[in-house]
Order: sequence, then structure tokens, then C-alpha cells
Amino acid sequence: MTILLRNGLIFDGEKLGEKAKDVLIEGGKIQKVGETQPQRGMENHTYDLDGKIVCPGFIDLHVHLRDPGQEWREDIPSGALAAAAGGFSTVVAMPNTDPPIDCASLVQYVMNRGMSSQGARVLPAGTVTKGRSGERLAELAKMAAAGAVFFTDDGSPVWKSGLLHKALLYTRNLGVRIMEHPEDLDLSRGAQVNWGYSSSRSGLKGSPVSSEVSDIHRGIHLSEETGSPVHFTHVSSKKGIEAVRLAKRQGLSVTADVTCHHLVLDESAVVDSRYDSLFKVNPPLRSSTDRDALWEGICDGTVDAIITDHAPYHSDEKDVPFQEAPFGIASLECAVAAVLTEWNNRGKPCPLERMLYLWTAGPARLLPKKWSNLGKIREGGPADITVLDPGIEKTVDPSLWRSKAKMTPWKGRTFANWPIMTIVEGRIVFGETE
Amino acid sequence: MEDADTYKTGKFRRQGDFALDKGDNRRNSRRCLLFLWGVLGLLREKAKVMNADEMTRALKRLAHEILEKNRGGENCLLVGIQRRGVHLANRLKEYIKETESKKVPSGVLDITLYRDDLTLLHDQPVVHSTAIPVDISNKTVILVDDVIYTGRTTRAALDALMDLGRPSAVQLCVLIDRGHRELPIHPDFVGKSVPTSQDEVVEVRVNELDGVDEVVICQREEYRQ
Amino acid sequence: MEWKHRSLIDLDTWSREEIEYLLENAKNMEDLLDRPIKKVPALRGKLVVNLFYEPSTRTRVSFELAEKFLSADVVNWSVSGSSSVKGETLRDTAWTLESMGADAVVIRHGAVGSAAYLKNKLKRSAVFNGGDGTHAHPTQALLDIYTAWKRLGHLDGKKMTIIGDIQHSRVARSNMIGFKTMGANVVLSGPPTLLPPDLESFGAVYEANPFEAVKEADIVYLLRIQKERQDEGLFPSLDEYFLTYGADERLIKAAAKEALIMHPGPVNRRVEIESAVADGPQSAILAQVRSGVAVRMALLYLCLGGAGKE
Repeated sequence: MTILLRNGLIFDGEKLGEKAKDVLIEGGKIQKVGETQPQRGMENHTYDLDGKIVCPGFIDLHVHLRDPGQEWREDIPSGALAAAAGGFSTVVAMPNTDPPIDCASLVQYVMNRGMSSQGARVLPAGTVTKGRSGERLAELAKMAAAGAVFFTDDGSPVWKSGLLHKALLYTRNLGVRIMEHPEDLDLSRGAQVNWGYSSSRSGLKGSPVSSEVSDIHRGIHLSEETGSPVHFTHVSSKKGIEAVRLAKRQGLSVTADVTCHHLVLDESAVVDSRYDSLFKVNPPLRSSTDRDALWEGICDGTVDAIITDHAPYHSDEKDVPFQEAPFGIASLECAVAAVLTEWNNRGKPCPLERMLYLWTAGPARLLPKKWSNLGKIREGGPADITVLDPGIEKTVDPSLWRSKAKMTPWKGRTFANWPIMTIVEGRIVFGETE
Repeated sequence: MEDADTYKTGKFRRQGDFALDKGDNRRNSRRCLLFLWGVLGLLREKAKVMNADEMTRALKRLAHEILEKNRGGENCLLVGIQRRGVHLANRLKEYIKETESKKVPSGVLDITLYRDDLTLLHDQPVVHSTAIPVDISNKTVILVDDVIYTGRTTRAALDALMDLGRPSAVQLCVLIDRGHRELPIHPDFVGKSVPTSQDEVVEVRVNELDGVDEVVICQREEYRQ
Repeated sequence: MEWKHRSLIDLDTWSREEIEYLLENAKNMEDLLDRPIKKVPALRGKLVVNLFYEPSTRTRVSFELAEKFLSADVVNWSVSGSSSVKGETLRDTAWTLESMGADAVVIRHGAVGSAAYLKNKLKRSAVFNGGDGTHAHPTQALLDIYTAWKRLGHLDGKKMTIIGDIQHSRVARSNMIGFKTMGANVVLSGPPTLLPPDLESFGAVYEANPFEAVKEADIVYLLRIQKERQDEGLFPSLDEYFLTYGADERLIKAAAKEALIMHPGPVNRRVEIESAVADGPQSAILAQVRSGVAVRMALLYLCLGGAGKE
């Protein structure tokens, strides 16, 4: 199929062009960036974007698709459609499923089910440990060969330091990064909210920032010692960002991502909502100082990617009092607009290019070599495209979502800057066919 | 009390109560409020039924009638219904003392919690105190209120009294009887009978609360846009 | 005053005027308790359900008396042997109660946020929080405020010292907020492991030495120490707790001469308070119990009467 996107401002992964250009897509590849006249027979697939922004397809390194095992919450087909509708052309599915993705055949299952789905490209992550039990290494090399793009026990840290040390050494030559969920479980035992304002107002057990920071410090030292890169996911605190920043300055191979909800919300939302379970996430929403620090990390390059940490639950599971609710919210289909609206409300603390980088070239760099051509717009490269409309304002209405999970803290909120079209390898997986 | 039965005037009365806290300004603020209601088109003062002198005369006559009927006030207890009935009862007590140089005990009864219209009102009325210094059992209780209208306030007062003891008799004394009874209740002593229509409101004002002694009839007008 | 509350979840949004208005009403309610016939017909025909997921004799009986003295119809819905054991969710229970025609639900539940949750789920019924996990116990705070306010005349500039497990106490949390609203200064003492990390948001200060903390205090408030905190390792032993922070006569002497000694009950003797203090002349513990009925009557009366609010 041939698609022609006309008069778009091109963000190539690094820079946002000032002059409108056309993008011609053919055979799943970007054929040409520049002026192109529509040819006979192409009318049905020519879109005049009128100054909207054409980006490389957005990448979300961290989503929970609950497949296999918890398909009432989400499955790979519904999650892939939801991702596409949120502007993402690629998502990485976390392996804390039931059973966990801890062997090559399960990696293959996720890949296959992703390929037969309609929406975004689904890439599997495998667990670090067998059964995600934190006891012994899973078959990491076999999973890497089968297509796993990260190793992570997400949902839990690899809490045994000796085991993390071995995992980092073992994966050094596999070209697949370890993604650590930074949390010291003993410090955060029983925690429901941030240790600070929200734990004080509610009396709930708090997870102190030290729980996150001590695990990040441990990971940095282990990474340095083993010479293997480490990626920290959903960093939520000022101290956590500072630790990563320092490691990067020392030239260590340390990277980090932050979630959309930690960028948009802080713990006052927990208290002000009188403990609405829609604000219950792990790591917990932190203080406004922590939130400001995440934005600083975005501006100065400490942060490498923005993730959704889309964690779907059935509304019956989440619609209970705060203390009884599971951790996690659904956000794939409004995350980009939520973050860009917040960026705008904060007076645009960094150029738009920087924000777009964190959904494109930023995360692409962290994927295995095979996917290194994602996150850019280049002639001859794969035709993964996200079109962003900075002019459009929409109200979040989860009842229209493709995701099975409707539990979002942003229901009824109006955001600007929505993705309006998503293309994966030359197929339009989301967007109006005008 | 009767005119507090509806939402609009209930509110009016309470706003009036608020104004009395303002010391010397109380008369002015009350007039100011009246003026405001006038502007809103809810209540319009129509006619004066009694002035201060007429009120005193009526109360003195009531005191005499009470003494006459009760053989000089033997074994009697005056109970004023919150709020204006309380002040009328105090006056009666004074006049009885003047005439007979006898002290009749008096008390205060709040009937708020006994009202039958609590669920119909927009706002809950304030609970005032009930303070009756003597045991009412085997006494002749003379209930004192400013106006009798539907009779529902009296019904509530009777219930409240019965919860406090077993009086040998209860008599009812009101300054104004404006008719329109909804219950089989009849006052024993009436200062003045005033024929009214249902859309009128009778306002008894006492010096202690309102800075003036008078009785007026106001016209309640439906608010029209 | 136009009364705007129909439910009570916590005291965070209550103004000083509103609390004082309730106290004034409570005073006249308390007079009723001395009458031979304590029942008045104010809430006749109203159905109040006491929904208790945790055993609590005191709070439930106090609410029940208040409801009965106001002539409401009362149903006690307790957890044991009832539907939550069968796994019925709070949401379904809420809708069931509403379908049965409950005008109000008093809820005691172990989970933070359960009272607010219930209120969100109910379209018609009012909700009164009888304690939601560690979060809030607003009627306890109102009755404590009432007790102290009646004894001391006012609370402006009065010093209140709370000693004990502040972090896990819904009583402490609601009292810190309520007494502060009424103009009192709140000082806290107890082991730092039992202290909320953010005292600033309550406008309270911490004093490690309990003798310093109670100095010149007008109110000394002792909190119940739960045995499970020791099991969690938040302090080593109950005996060590008593020797360090327990209220004995020596400690009470350091407070103002007429200081009120308060405790939400039930009392752990020789853990947070010594018998000589709990039963001594300054103890307001039994007055608190009596206040509880009057304050809850005033609350129910103000919130449940009236048509067409909210």
C-alpha cells in the first residue's frame, strides 16, 4: 500500500523541521521525505496534514498486557489496539504474566500473538529469573535469541544482589538490557503511598524514597563492576534522578525512564481525592518536589524515555476502597496528551523536540540492535509513524477506549496535543481515513 | 412560631435572629433585612395590628384572665415556647407579680425536636435549650406562644411537655390567633383574634429580640421572574 | 447558619464556625440525656444503618443511642456472619442498603478511604465515618473537642499534647485537624517510629521528651497502644513504652494544674496510662463517653433533617 502524508512538520528523531514536507510510504518503508506530488490512484491514501507533526512511531518501553493468564484485564490484541490508539507503534510487554514470560517458547508466544494482532508492534520482555521468583536465572540467552528485548522482573526488583550481579555479567554479551524495577522490598513492606505527606495524612504505610534510591545505587555499582548496562524503570523521586544523573556524568552505562503519571500527578492527588483507588500506583505518587525533579531530568537529558506503565485491571478489581485496591492504572490511550498538556502547563520547560525524543529515538536506543532503525524518520527506514496534532483538544472518555481497562485518573479531563494517526510498517493502525 | 413552618419565612425568621446579635444596630439591620425581602418580592409589610401600648394592654389583660381562671395562679407554671413565647411569658410573669404580688414560676420550652415538619424544611432549625426549673408533674402549665396558626406548634409543645412529666392541666395562651387551624386545638387565652389569609404572615416583634414591640401583617408574594 | 454538610467523612473541610455550631447544638442535646424520657421524635421515620466491619462496641453503641434518642429506626449490620464473609463487596453492600431505604449509613471499616468510597457509591444516603482504617475518626474528634470546649470554655491558644502511636491512629489524626481548627496548639510525643513523617501539614510540633511535651498543657491526650505495633518492631516492648511515654502521676504533674486527661478508650492500663491517672480527678475519660452520644445526636440531627440538600 502506498500512503502519502502531505504538508507535515517532520520530527526525524532529533530535530523538528520548520518547513512542511511530504512523506511517501511504500512497501512498509519510507520511500521519500520531501516534496511529492500525489499520483493517479493514490487519492484514497493521501492525507493533507496541514502543519501537524510527523514523528517516528512512538515507543513505550513498559506496558502490562496481562497475556497470558489474565486476559480479563487485557490481552495482546486489545493492548496492541489501545497502544496504537494512544499513538504508539511499538510497545514492550512486561513479563509478569501468569505464567511469567521466563522461557523462549513464551517469548515466542508473545511475539506471535503480537504479530497476529491489529495494532502496535508488541515486543516481549523476558524475566531475569526463572518463574520471576528471584531465585535463579531464567534461560536468558535462549530468550534473547527468541526475540526478548529486555530482561526484567518488573513488579518486583531482582532483590538478591548476588543474583543481579550474575544476571548483569551473563547478559553482557547478549545485547539485551536488564531493566530493574528499583525498590527495596524491606523498606517498602506493606506500603500503599509515599512516605511523607500522603502517608502522614492517611496513616497508611509509606514507601520511602530511600527504597527506590538504595536499589538504584546498588544497581549502578553492580553495573559498573560487571561492565553491563542497566536500565531503571519508573524512577519516581528526586534522589533517584540525581543518582542516575551522577552515574551518567561518570560515563556509566546507566539509563532511566519515568512514567506519565509521575510526571502529571503527585501525592496531593491521593489525599485530595480522599483516597480514590485511581491514584494508587507503584512506585507511589511522590511529592511535588520529586515531580519537579523528574521534569528537570527530562530537560537535562538524565531521563531516556517516557513510559506509560499501563497496568490494566478490571474495574471490579479497582473499584474498591483505596487500601484494598491493586496498584496500577490504565493510561495508554491518553498518556501522550496528558504529558504534553502538563509540559505546556509548566511553560514548556524544554523544547518539544526533547519531549518527542523521549518517545522515539530515546527509547529506541535502549532496544537490541535489531530494532535500532526504529525511532527515526529516514528514507529507506521502516514506515513507523505517529502524527501528532498540537491543535486538537479532547476530553478523556475511557468508555471509547480499545483497552479492556477503563480505570484512569484522567477520566473527564481535557488535554491538548493528541496523536491522530499511527502507522506501523506502512499500515495505518489508528487514525481517520478521510 | 407558626410562621416558621415554611421554608421562606423560616429562613426569614432565622435571619432576623441573626440580626439581634448586633447590639444597637439590631433594629436597623432587621429593617434592612425587611427591606431586602421587600426588594426580592417575598414579604411586604401590609398592616400594623398592634403597637407597643396595645401589646402591653393585651398582655396585662391576659395576665388577669390567667389569674381569674386559676384562682390567683395557684399551682401554676408559665412555659414560654422558644423563642418569642419565652419573652411573652416573662412579661406575663411580671404583670402577674404586679397584680397579685405573687411569683409564678416560669420555664422555657424548645419544641424543635418535636416538630412534625423537620423533613420538609430546607435547613434544620437550631435546637434551643429547654429549661424548666421545677417538676411539671401535677402543675397547671400555661403554655405561652406568640401566634397560633395551624396548631402544629402547640401539638409539638404538648408532646415535649408530656416527655417532661405529667401536668395536672395544660392551658394555652397566645397573643394572636390568626385562624386556619389544622388540628383540634383551641387556645384558652387570646390577646387578639386577627383574620388573615394563608398567604399572609403574622410577625410578632418583641423588644428583647427585635428592638421593638409590635405586631404586623406581611404579605407573602410568590417570587416571579 | 446554613448547614451544608450531609455526611461526615473527615474534618479536613469543616470550618471553625461549623464545628462551633455543632457544639452549641450538642450542648442542648446533652440536656436531653438527663431527662426521664430521653427520646425525642426528631428523626422519626429515618432509617440509619450501622455498618460495622470491625468490632467496636463503644462507637457502635454510642451511635446507636444517639440514633434511638432521636427516634430513628436503627439497623445494625455487622461483619460477623454477614455478607462480607461471603465475599460481598462494599459496593454491593452499599447498593443493597440504599435499596432497603437507608437514609444514613454509619460505617466502620478497616480500609483507608472506605467511608469516602461508600459516599461516592450512594446516591441518596448520608454517610458518617465511624473510623476508616488509620485515616479518620471524625466523630471521636468532635466529641473530644466538645468535652474539652465545655470544660475549658474555648480552645483558642490552649495547648494539647497527644502522646502515643500518632501515625497509626485515626483518632490522633482527626484530633490534630479538629483541635487545630478550633485554635489549639498541638504538641506530639512518643517514639519517632510511631510518628507521621510530615507534621507540618498538621501544624503540629514534636517534642521527644514527654515531660517537656506536657509542660503547661491544658489537655493531655493518651492514645491506645496496639500490641501489633510491637510485633511489627516499631518499639521493643510494652514495658519499655510505659516507662518512657506512659502517663503516670509524675508526668501529669508536669502539665497545667487543671489539665484534662483524655483517652479515646478502651484503656490499656499500665501501657499508655496508669490507673491512678485514668481514674483520677483530672480524667475526662467518662465525660468523653457521655459527650459522644450528645455530639452524635447533634450531628445526625443537623445532617439528616432537611429536604433537598446536596
